[in-house]
Amino acid sequence: MAMKRRTTILVALGLAAAVLILFWKPTVLIYGIQQAGLYAAIAIPMGLVLGIVHIVNLAHGEFMMVAAYATYFACRATGMDPLVAALPTAAVTGLFGWIVFRLTIRKALKAPELNQLILTFGLGIALSQAVNILFTSQTRKISLDYVSASVDIGELSFGVWSFVFVAVAILYAYGLKLFLTKTTAGKAALAVGQNPRGAAIVGIDVDRTYGLVFALALALVGAMGALFLTKSAIFPGVGGPFTMKSFCLVAVAGIGNIPGILGASLLLGLAESFLRAFRDLRGWADIVFFVLIIVVILGRSIKWRKS
Amino acid sequence: MKKALAIVATLLVAASAFAQGTIKIGGIWPLSDITGKQGSMAAQLAVAEINAAGGVLGKQLELVVVDDELKADKAAAAVEKLVTVDNVDVLVGGMGSGAELGKIPAFKKYGKVVMSTGAASYTVENALGADANWYFHLHPWDYNQGASYAEGWEAIQATYKNVKIKKIFLAYEEGAFGKASWDATKKLFGETGRFIVDGAPFKSAALGGGDYAAVLEAAKDFKPDLYLWAGYDADALPMLEQAKAMKFNPGIYLGAPPGWPIGFGTSKLSANVMLYGMWAPAMNDTNKASKKFYDGFVKKFKEEPQTYFAPLSYSAIYILADAIKAAGTTETAALIKALEATKYDSPLGEVVSFTKSNVIAHQGIKRQKILQWQNGRQEVIWPLEAKTSTPVYPFPKWK
Repeated sequence: MAMKRRTTILVALGLAAAVLILFWKPTVLIYGIQQAGLYAAIAIPMGLVLGIVHIVNLAHGEFMMVAAYATYFACRATGMDPLVAALPTAAVTGLFGWIVFRLTIRKALKAPELNQLILTFGLGIALSQAVNILFTSQTRKISLDYVSASVDIGELSFGVWSFVFVAVAILYAYGLKLFLTKTTAGKAALAVGQNPRGAAIVGIDVDRTYGLVFALALALVGAMGALFLTKSAIFPGVGGPFTMKSFCLVAVAGIGNIPGILGASLLLGLAESFLRAFRDLRGWADIVFFVLIIVVILGRSIKWRKS
Repeated sequence: MKKALAIVATLLVAASAFAQGTIKIGGIWPLSDITGKQGSMAAQLAVAEINAAGGVLGKQLELVVVDDELKADKAAAAVEKLVTVDNVDVLVGGMGSGAELGKIPAFKKYGKVVMSTGAASYTVENALGADANWYFHLHPWDYNQGASYAEGWEAIQATYKNVKIKKIFLAYEEGAFGKASWDATKKLFGETGRFIVDGAPFKSAALGGGDYAAVLEAAKDFKPDLYLWAGYDADALPMLEQAKAMKFNPGIYLGAPPGWPIGFGTSKLSANVMLYGMWAPAMNDTNKASKKFYDGFVKKFKEEPQTYFAPLSYSAIYILADAIKAAGTTETAALIKALEATKYDSPLGEVVSFTKSNVIAHQGIKRQKILQWQNGRQEVIWPLEAKTSTPVYPFPKWK
């Protein structure tokens, strides 16, 4: 009861703050939500892997970068739009994820966590260096008219394309929820994530399920790579910062809490956008992220001690 | 008898090879970056052309290239390797100032003639000191660049009466490059009182950012005549797309990244964006040396030079070769003397000679150019004597 009341108060406070910001500087809210959508759509697949396979994939951003490069060259060769390319890219990166899992990650599942971290970190470096050697560090971008689509409200003009990331994040979060609770494969994945030994006893192929989840996560990252290309320029190092942000968002949301990633991303996107609205505070926009994670983790550990 | 003849023949061949030998040039560039990659390719082109024309002092030139990965430690190790293992006669190359700073202790240790193609930061010449008479710097220093921009805008306003610049806004990336640009802009344009200067930082996409809404909003509120952004190539198109979405229409929209993304000119958004640079393929129409370089590069590598570091590195090799020829040796003192007499008609549209800068004795090019993307290619707007087109002004309203 107390928990419900606290949640209601928090939601009411959040809404009141949103209304105030909307009147003060509406773009803070608009761009904050758009940025939150981007963060969430990239972080959710990492949350899936961490929640079920229990691996921190430090090559997460690099996989997205590789998908963006694959989309770029496919679009250049065929004249296809990156939006259309999102589905085939997802299929290809999903398959790539399956192969990577079978060849590398599967062998490190029972190894100490540090080994797993080093493995995925190494994979990330190998991917970015390979792209660097093959295609140089020069940036590439596909220029698309619809990316500059805007809405005018009085004096205010703002871009609307980035709302697509909000839609994708919501689709990912609730699509995964449906997958995990309504399908046999999803229920098996959930069971493996909660108790792999118990799942194996009841006849679930744990390794296969891990592989499936990893491939699914990479397919989602692959689709995001294609969408990311619509908005951003790509280069070998473009994915790295998103690995760190995704990991922090997953940590703030709590391991396995995929809808929570939406909330954490919203908090981060709005906080960054709010700080950027003040010229002297812009430099703090990056730090707010780490402050957030420290506060949440400290809060959790204090709560855990009390209980 | 046969044995004796064989010995004599072997000795003759060996003597001939010794007489011919090679003149070794050690080149250091960041090879995974387009500037370094094409810079080294252009240097290779110059070496091939010189060798095809008979070489220098009857010897062939040999270019040994090492990748500095834009890192100071790798750059320092590259100098050590080139001098002690490859026994090069002279050194050439360079792009980033950080990597150049890393090389300086090794440069000083060996005292070989260095023809530097990069490093704009004044901190590099401060680290070199006035005694580094073996250091020849082709690329303008940052203060040279700033002064030439100020000169350029004054000249453009005086020539094209419709161009009016009073308010300048600089969007600068948060790192050292952007901050240095901001400091220089405030000093050069703000302190004279001729211009009203404002600016705001943004996090470059190259460093994990890529959201320009806040900085563009600040710029839009300021209503600048000249909007200038100092960031990286990764920011070029996304910033334009966001500016269009926000209907931000400054009088002049100008970018100053070290390089542009592949295919930038093919984007409709690139039309009439201005830029700072040193060379553009459009100069082939008015400059024979530029055309010779361009045609040779395209023929040899089947790709277009996309950065001014290519003609700059090409020039560096020719300047060195001419000086070695004039000196008749690669011996340092004689070579320095010959280089001091350089008058090289470069593909960059000016005759290169070396004069004193704030600290060092041998500064090559001091002026940059103001260019504009028109119909998919970069046109030179200023210096007026090198112009290939007239400026499109103001930057057209977004449709």
